[in-house]
Amino acid sequence: MKIFSIIKKSFKEQIRNFWILILTVSMAPFFVFIYYMIAEATKINYDVVLINQDNGFDLATGKFNHGDFLVDVIRKYQTDSLEIPLRVKMVENRLEAEKWLKNKKSNALVIIPADFSERIVKLATSQGDDGVDVEFIGDLTNINYMVTVIWVNEILSEYIVQVTGKPRPIKIKETGLGISGKIDDFDIWMPGIIILSIIMLMFSATIAIITEVENRTIIRLKLSRVSTFELLTGVSFIQILVGILAVLLTITVAVGLGFNYVGSIWIFLLIAVLTAISIIAFSLILAGATKSSNEVLIVGNFPLFVFMFFSGAAFPMRAGEMFSIAGYSLSWQSLMSPTHAISALNKVWIMDMSFKDIIPEITALILVTILYFIIGLWLFWYRHMRTG
Amino acid sequence: MPADTEQNKQPVIRISGLRKKFGNLIAVDGLSLEIFKGEILGFLGPNGAGKTTTINMICGLITPTDGEIHFQGNWSRQHNNIRSSIGICPQENIYWPKLTLYEQLKFMGEMYGKTDRYASKRSQELLKMMGLESKSNVLARKLSGGMKRRLNICLALIHDPEILILDEPEAGLDPQSRILVRGLIKSLAKEKTIILTTHNMDEADRLSDRVAIIDHGKLLLVNTPENLKKSIGEGDILEITLDTEKVENPEKVEEVLLQICDKAKISGNSLIIRSKNLIGKVSEITQKINGQDYKIREMTMRENTLEDVFIHLTGRKLRQ
Repeated sequence: MKIFSIIKKSFKEQIRNFWILILTVSMAPFFVFIYYMIAEATKINYDVVLINQDNGFDLATGKFNHGDFLVDVIRKYQTDSLEIPLRVKMVENRLEAEKWLKNKKSNALVIIPADFSERIVKLATSQGDDGVDVEFIGDLTNINYMVTVIWVNEILSEYIVQVTGKPRPIKIKETGLGISGKIDDFDIWMPGIIILSIIMLMFSATIAIITEVENRTIIRLKLSRVSTFELLTGVSFIQILVGILAVLLTITVAVGLGFNYVGSIWIFLLIAVLTAISIIAFSLILAGATKSSNEVLIVGNFPLFVFMFFSGAAFPMRAGEMFSIAGYSLSWQSLMSPTHAISALNKVWIMDMSFKDIIPEITALILVTILYFIIGLWLFWYRHMRTG
Repeated sequence: MPADTEQNKQPVIRISGLRKKFGNLIAVDGLSLEIFKGEILGFLGPNGAGKTTTINMICGLITPTDGEIHFQGNWSRQHNNIRSSIGICPQENIYWPKLTLYEQLKFMGEMYGKTDRYASKRSQELLKMMGLESKSNVLARKLSGGMKRRLNICLALIHDPEILILDEPEAGLDPQSRILVRGLIKSLAKEKTIILTTHNMDEADRLSDRVAIIDHGKLLLVNTPENLKKSIGEGDILEITLDTEKVENPEKVEEVLLQICDKAKISGNSLIIRSKNLIGKVSEITQKINGQDYKIREMTMRENTLEDVFIHLTGRKLRQ
């Protein structure tokens, strides 16, 4: 009954703090948008400058120019394939092309020779075995040059195999793990970003709790013999709803910006909701350690940064194993609930694993949340609710 | 309230040997006091005297270092059973700024375990009683200072407590609100026990059945305001203007008057007399003056005030 009344009161207060509510739920989607912008701005492209000197070859049916066909194929890769991020620029002469290279506007120059078609025809009809000469020019120490020429070489080899009908000497079978290779940086960052967005709820949730102390209304509640459990459960419930709303908005924005996920949306929601509950449980500890909103904003930065940088939310983090339970590695970072949430999301989204595979992460997440809640309840009672 | 209340009534609260230490500071030092049902007890003391600490211990907000508080014969160290029987209106207005007046009163009623129906009805009654009915659906933060003070009193009364603690209830109130609150306190005293802490001696004098004066954590005395004014301090002041230009032998007149008064001083034709319970001596003073062949042109008397008593007991020095 009392919990229900506290929930009703907290709901009204939350709704009436309209701008704070809007800022709270929009902060995480905004964060996703910023990451999207960063991902777009830092997207890797390999620029190649092409000079097609091919004269073509006269057949009975007419003139045939393999150089033009090859250029078309490379351009097609540019538009159709995420896996080969090539950008092609056609130029007329070598001098102009070298300017592009020297100005770092291009990673490699590829010159299709004048006898390109002739050599291919001879290779196809077994009239010659000199192969095909294609010149690659660029800064040989530059990693981008190497990647660029590997891609061009791959396209070129594939083209020649197709038009000559000659088999490749080595056939490589490449298998991506999960959906790796099909996703870009934005997709890879997303599990961490969504968890990071949830971590950010720490401030608003703590402030919602500490307001009772700051306004001294906690005295009225103490006199009425409301228990710490009733008060914190009631206030936390609304914050969990706000958290879920923020998570749903975040995922909607992420999908709208092109985020590709595999696996069940329900598993994602489960992980996100459990993480939101966990962060709000942690907020109880923060509320127990502070007395005002100002203190929350100062003291709260410490756990925020620890959660951001050591749980793997902001960037991948490798932790040294301290011990393992049923094969699940535990380290000091395991005390941070986001660590388990990110691990679970990576398994589901990147590795395309099932719910069964993330049971250890879910279990650890729930246990750490219970630990936070117990510590938070005790600390809040000790600092703000007990009789001195 | 009759003066013999202490003999006739059972105390609602009996405090014995109450003591509270904060580190090396002794905030309350062996305080013993009985508070009776239906009385208004004025709880007076300078800043830092230990009033708030004592009240917080009565409410159960802090635990005594030593001593006992009995509530209607029952004693509990944590005083949890007392809490719901006490309503407190703190000096500082404590309310939820983003809730309407009705919402926060109903919410607090529910927090005290009252039913939804009771809390709703009681909220409306209190708002009406405090003249806040028209502001029922207004957010508390939008109220004026006086209205917030009245809301604070409503919040203290929402669960219909047996004991009401009012800390400076008239602070920040306009004259109209002050009259309303005083009337309310008087009417509540018929059914509730009220502990009133205030710096306003006039307020304490007018409202209190008994006054307890505390200083340095110790209870100095407790009695009715009338008894205190009669027995403590330098007494009442009587100013007499004589129907003459100058008293010719002032020492002689002063000597005659000092036989019945504590102090008498003549300056020109003005005579100032000071003594306890002076009202009962006015007739005798008049006779003595007439006996010295002087006529009284004008006479004014100021009674010994509670403020005089307070200053006499606690001193004039400000606390560091």
